[in-house]
Amino acid sequence: MNIYKASKKATFAIVVFGIIFIIALPLFFVVTMSFMSKHEVMSFPLNMFPRFSYTLKVEKPEKKKPIFYLKSQVGDKYTSLIESSDTSKIHSFFLNELSLNVPKEKIRKLIDKASTGKAQTFNEWKNPFFNFQMFFLVTNGAFAALWMSIKTVIFTCLISLIIGSLAGYAFARYFFKGKDIAKVSVLFVRMFPGVSIAIPMALILVNMGMFDTAFGLSLVYSVGNIALTIWITCSIFLGIPVEFEEAAQVFGAGKFKTFLKVTLPLTLPGLAASSMYCFLGAWNEVITALLLTQSHPTFAVVVYTTIFGSQSNFGFAAAGAILQAIPALIFTFIIKKYINQMWGEAAV
Amino acid sequence: MGTVRLENIEKIYPNGFQAVEKSNLEIHEGEFLVLLGPSGCGKTTIMRMIVGLEEVTKGKVFIGSEEVTETPVQKRNVGMVFQNYAVWPHMTVYENIAFPLKLKGFSKKKIKDQINKVSEMTNITDYLDRYPTQLSGGQRQRVAVARAVAYQPKVFLMDEPLSALDAKLRESMRTELKQIQRQLKATTVFVTHDQAEAMSLADRIVVMDKGKIIQIGSPEEVYHDCNNLFIADFIGTPPTNFIDVKIIKKNNDITVKHSDFEFNLKSADYKTLERYIDKDVILGIRPEDMEISKTESGSLKLNLLLTEPQGNYKIVVCVLAERKIKIVVPSDVKIPKSKTIPINFKLDRIMLFDKETEERIR
Repeated sequence: MNIYKASKKATFAIVVFGIIFIIALPLFFVVTMSFMSKHEVMSFPLNMFPRFSYTLKVEKPEKKKPIFYLKSQVGDKYTSLIESSDTSKIHSFFLNELSLNVPKEKIRKLIDKASTGKAQTFNEWKNPFFNFQMFFLVTNGAFAALWMSIKTVIFTCLISLIIGSLAGYAFARYFFKGKDIAKVSVLFVRMFPGVSIAIPMALILVNMGMFDTAFGLSLVYSVGNIALTIWITCSIFLGIPVEFEEAAQVFGAGKFKTFLKVTLPLTLPGLAASSMYCFLGAWNEVITALLLTQSHPTFAVVVYTTIFGSQSNFGFAAAGAILQAIPALIFTFIIKKYINQMWGEAAV
Repeated sequence: MGTVRLENIEKIYPNGFQAVEKSNLEIHEGEFLVLLGPSGCGKTTIMRMIVGLEEVTKGKVFIGSEEVTETPVQKRNVGMVFQNYAVWPHMTVYENIAFPLKLKGFSKKKIKDQINKVSEMTNITDYLDRYPTQLSGGQRQRVAVARAVAYQPKVFLMDEPLSALDAKLRESMRTELKQIQRQLKATTVFVTHDQAEAMSLADRIVVMDKGKIIQIGSPEEVYHDCNNLFIADFIGTPPTNFIDVKIIKKNNDITVKHSDFEFNLKSADYKTLERYIDKDVILGIRPEDMEISKTESGSLKLNLLLTEPQGNYKIVVCVLAERKIKIVVPSDVKIPKSKTIPINFKLDRIMLFDKETEERIR
């Protein structure tokens, strides 16, 4: 291998790793941070992986309050944490800062033992899901928001897929005047950022009595998603030779049966891909949802407000982000099966 | 099985293009009818009108004794084999054949029996549970044929079913198709642009050009007794040789005259030929209807250009008045080494065409 080839390979590797770091590193930190206690998140340098247990030490110097120390992960270094004799104060400190649920009696006993002059070391298992539990505890109506999001997503998918795929079929199979212009112009609606039309949309929804409802929100989301669905399904329909449908009709299937038994199964990959776009679009959208809902926010809005309201605890924010991402991930993995089911090329 | 009758049918597309001009056609019971013509001649349109996939602009379509002009496709009970097979890729071979039968309301057992029967006939028993993507083109076309056969339609319609296959497979499938057709005594309409395919399959050939039916007849008739110049040129490889000649009256005989040769025509044709005396006409003669004269004296002498051996026969290419003339002779015929070779016409096989209308003079 000559130098030119080697340097080419090296450059390629550097670029690839650079891209991976840009995409994967933030994701990695969000995941690890969601399992970290506040103390871990705030420590510098930040740990690569979350800790699962802590070793603590308590000392009771003469005529002073008991002092709690935390043992470092590596080496034998202790850092002081809190100096207090109030067990409930110590308990809540452990809970909030270290995600440790140490019973008050245990703390009392440890302090008593330390009072004899001998420092007490003890080991505690951390609750790694503390952030997630707290997210639901501190966030008002997280479950209601989740349900709201699910409803919105289902409505958006249904509306976009039904209208979009029918229109896509028409664009693929029929000829009519101004077809090309119409096909391009459906994309116009995607050219405006959601925020810029959110205020008029809010007014319209209020007039329709659908402000702050899942259906109203999904109507707004569908506008852009229908355009996308039309383009995806249209190209899928174009890829299905019309003879498949003609053959079905010749052999005794009516228009509806043909659609149900031949066209639809063949379009499934395209529909799956479109539904994924609709799902992600509706699930992740924040700004429009923020403006178009009031007392019934979507989950994305809740996560957003929690992140803003919890500047002191990044762990919460990370947990919220993970909770937001999980349904989208699950949906993507389910739908992947259908997207891969391409009958395409060899079919003709 | 049934018959098909087309009465004065016409097809004009919305953009004004007339794909099929007023045509009448009758397809008999159990007949293998081939619609032959170059691409864009309207043969596929006619077939699609029989199936119902194309609306009829004017005229009537009958299948059996029933008029079906307005009947939707799915109720016409016809079986179709498509050029690109159109075997549904999301169903196994078995399901492909079973789907139409299910729609017909057959019981599960009946479907199974039927599929067993036709899959044996079409040699697809081994891959009934495979998906079409796992099959070759020839196998897929067999499945398409099996699907049509199992459906037990009144009429079979085949739209260039062999043209997507490679040459060797095409020939063997041709034989098989004809065998199946004979076995079922099925009324079949077969569309092709391949004249050799048409000749080998058809009971009757319908030759079409520019939306018009120009000749209907048995393969022999269409080959040896062409209605016009187009058919004579279109059918046969190599095609008919055309020579510009003049018809003159000499003594009491009507004679074909060329600067290099002349011969008398049969007296039976004199009546029709009267009109053409002293006029230019086109003489058409099939390559195999000329023979190399054993003696030196032939009706004409041609300049030999080259020979193309084909195995079982050879093509002798000669030149007459700057036009290439092809002659087909058996491979054992010795070609004289001389520059010119004496040729004899089979006089009863010559065809004369009007120079203006390009119609056959008869």
